[in-house]
Amino acid sequence: MRKNKRSEKKISKVKFQRSFFRIIRQMKKEFLLLFTDKFNMLLAIVVPPLVIFLFGFMMNSIPEGIQPVDCVVISYDSNVYVDEGTFNESLRDDFTLPYVNAANKSEYLNLIHFYNATEEIYAMESARMMLIASDIKVIISLPVGFSEFITLGLPGLIDCIPDASDIKTIQDTLNAVFDSVKTFVNDNNLNPQFQLTGYEEFTIPEGYSFRFNYNITLTLSFIVFGVSMVLTILVVVQEKPVARLLLTPVKRSEILISKYLTYTLILIIQVILLIISTLVCRLYLAGSILDLFIALFTIGFTGLSMGIFISTQSKTKTEANQLFFAVFIVILLLSGIFIPIDAMPIYLQVIAYILPLSHGDPMIRGIVTKGKSVFGFDFFALLILSIILVLISFIIFKRRKYEV
Amino acid sequence: MVELSTEIMVDVNNLNVIFDKNHIVHDVSFEVKKGEIIGLFGISGAGKTTIIRVLTCQIEKKNWSGDVTVTNFSPDKKQNHPLILYNIGYVPQLELLNLYYDLSPLANVEVFSSTYGLDTKEAKKIAQELFKILDIPSDTWNKRVKHMSGGEKKRLSMAIGLIHKPSVLFLDEPTTGVDASKRYSILSYLKKLNQKLDTTMFIITHDLEAALICDKTAILREGRMLEFDSPQNLINSLPSNGLIARFEINDLNEAKITRISEFSPVKKVLRVGNEVVEILMESFEENLPKLIQYMIERGVTVNSMSRDSASFRRFFQIRIQEEEEREKLRTNIGEA
Repeated sequence: MRKNKRSEKKISKVKFQRSFFRIIRQMKKEFLLLFTDKFNMLLAIVVPPLVIFLFGFMMNSIPEGIQPVDCVVISYDSNVYVDEGTFNESLRDDFTLPYVNAANKSEYLNLIHFYNATEEIYAMESARMMLIASDIKVIISLPVGFSEFITLGLPGLIDCIPDASDIKTIQDTLNAVFDSVKTFVNDNNLNPQFQLTGYEEFTIPEGYSFRFNYNITLTLSFIVFGVSMVLTILVVVQEKPVARLLLTPVKRSEILISKYLTYTLILIIQVILLIISTLVCRLYLAGSILDLFIALFTIGFTGLSMGIFISTQSKTKTEANQLFFAVFIVILLLSGIFIPIDAMPIYLQVIAYILPLSHGDPMIRGIVTKGKSVFGFDFFALLILSIILVLISFIIFKRRKYEV
Repeated sequence: MVELSTEIMVDVNNLNVIFDKNHIVHDVSFEVKKGEIIGLFGISGAGKTTIIRVLTCQIEKKNWSGDVTVTNFSPDKKQNHPLILYNIGYVPQLELLNLYYDLSPLANVEVFSSTYGLDTKEAKKIAQELFKILDIPSDTWNKRVKHMSGGEKKRLSMAIGLIHKPSVLFLDEPTTGVDASKRYSILSYLKKLNQKLDTTMFIITHDLEAALICDKTAILREGRMLEFDSPQNLINSLPSNGLIARFEINDLNEAKITRISEFSPVKKVLRVGNEVVEILMESFEENLPKLIQYMIERGVTVNSMSRDSASFRRFFQIRIQEEEEREKLRTNIGEA
C-alpha cells in the first residue's frame, strides 16, 4: 500500500517535471516568434516608454504659468435704474470702473475690450461676434443697478457668458471670472456673503508639472492595457501549427500556459520600463513604487487576458481584429473619460464597472496623488475580471476543435 | 530481400465511423506490421482521412466503434492518447500546418522535439541525420523556413514528423503540390527513410504512383475498403496475372468497344486514349491471336499492338469502375 503510494507520487512528480519542461520549451518558442516579429517587439518594449517620454516632453514644455482667459466686459450699470418701491431714479455707476480695474488686474483674465452699453447700444452683439470668432472666451456683463445694489449692501450681480463649445475650458473660465470678483471685493472693501478659506489637499507640489502628473494616470492605464491587448489578440488564432502540436504529447493547457507566462514576462518588463520613464519625466508619486507596479501589472494582465480570450474564441485573424476594435471602443466609451460613470444610467454603470479601464485610472490616481494602497476595490475588481477571462480562455481553448 | 517483422503496429477490426447519422466508414478491417509502408488510396470522400483521424486520436470515441489498436494502445481510452501520440508521427498535407515559417529548421525541430521530452542536443543530432538523408542543404538549417523552396519545406516537414523516431508515421498527401519530377524523389526519400529507420508508414494519397513504394495498398470507396493487399498481389488477381494487350484502333468508338467486349475470353476493355484500348482477358497467350483475328473479321482496324503488365493505376481504375457498375446495377434492380 505504502509502496503504491510512493510510486504514485513518483509518477506524478515525473509527469509534473515533463509538463514543466514542455511549458518552458513552448515559452522559448513564443519568445523566438516574438523576436522574429520586429513590429511586435517594438510595440512591446519600445513604444510604451517612448510614448511616456513624448507625453512628458509635451506636457513639461508647456509653460506652467497661468494662461489668462480673453474677455470682454459690458456695463449696463449707468442705464437708468428705477426702484420699484420708491420710484426713485438712479444713475449710479461708481462700481463699474473698479470692477473693470479688477478684471484688468486679475492675472487670470485678459480684458480685450470694455463696452459701455449706454453709449454703444450694439455692445452685446459685437461681443457675441467676438465669442463666435473665438477672439474671447467669456463675456462679463454688469447689469443695470450693479453699483446701486452694492451701495445698498445687497449681493452684486454679474452676468457671465462663457464659450461652452469646449467643455474642458469652462471651469478655467469661471475660475478666472471668480478671481476678478475676488480682487474687486478685496480692493473695494466690500463684504462678501461667503469667504472661502483652507488649502488644497493632494495637490502636486512645486517643481513638478501639474499637467503631466494630472494626465499621466489615465495615459498609463491606456498604454499598459492597450499594448497588452494588442500584443495578444493574435497569439492563438494566427498560430497555424497548433493543430499539429496537438498531435504530440503536449497538452492544450500547456500551450496556453506558456503563452500566458511569456506575455506576463513581457508585461513585467513593460511595466518596469513605464515606471522608469514616468519617473524620469518627473512623476510626483505620493504612494509606493511597488503599489504602482502592482497596479500597472494588474491593468496590463487584464488587457493580456482579454487579448488571449479574444484570440482563443476567434476563428480568423480578421475576426480577432474586428472583435478587438469593437471591445476596445466599448471599453473606451464607458471608461469614464468622456462621461463620469456615476452620471450614466444604472445599466450602463453596471457594464462600466465590469470593464477594466473604469478601474485603472482611479486606482493609479489614488496611488500617485493620494498615496493610497493598491489593494482596494478597483484592484480586486480587475483581479476577478482577469481570473474570469483566464478561465474562459482555457475552457474555450480546451473545447475548440482542431483538425490537421 | 528485406524480411518484414511480424510485430503488429496497427490493428483495425470492424471500424465504423458515424457523424450525425452520416455513416462515413463502414466495417473497415486491416492490420499493419512493423516496417511496412501502407498506402490508403481512394477518391475524395472515400474515408481515408477519417480512418487516419481515428488512429491519431483526433476523433472522439462517441463517433466511432470497432477494435482499434495503434502500437498496442487503443485510442478509445483517453488515457492512452499521450502514449499513442508518443509513438506516432504526423506529416500534414500543408507544410504551413507543420512548420513555423518565421523560425529556422533547427528551431522548428526544437519546438516539436521538446514536446516529446527530447533535449535540444539530442534532437539536433537526430535532425542533422534526418536532414542529411533528406538532402536538406546545411546552409538553410539556420535560416527562416519561409526562405526555403517548396521541396525543402516538404522534406523538412517529414523530418519534423520523424524527429522523435516514431514507430508509425502518418503522411497526408505527401506528394500533393509537388511537380511531377519531384514527386518521385519525395517517394524515394520516404522509401529511404523507411529502410533506414524501419518506421511503419501510412500514406494517404490520391497519387497512385505512391503505390510504387507501398508494401500494401488499401483501396477505399465511399467508406468501404474494397481491397487490402500488396500492389503486386492485387495486379496478379486480374485475369492472366494482369497481362494487358494495348491496341491502337482506327476511328475508335463505343460500337467497336462493345464488339471487342463480345469476344468471350475478354474480361475488360478500357479506353485509355483517343484511339487506344487496353484489354484484359483469360489465357492471354492463347487468346491474343484469336482476338486479333476476331477484330479483323469484324472490321476493327488495328494500327498497332503492344503487350504490357497492368500497373496499380490500371488496377485501381478497373476496381473502382467495377464497383460503380455494381452500384448502378443495384440501383437499377432497386428501382425495378
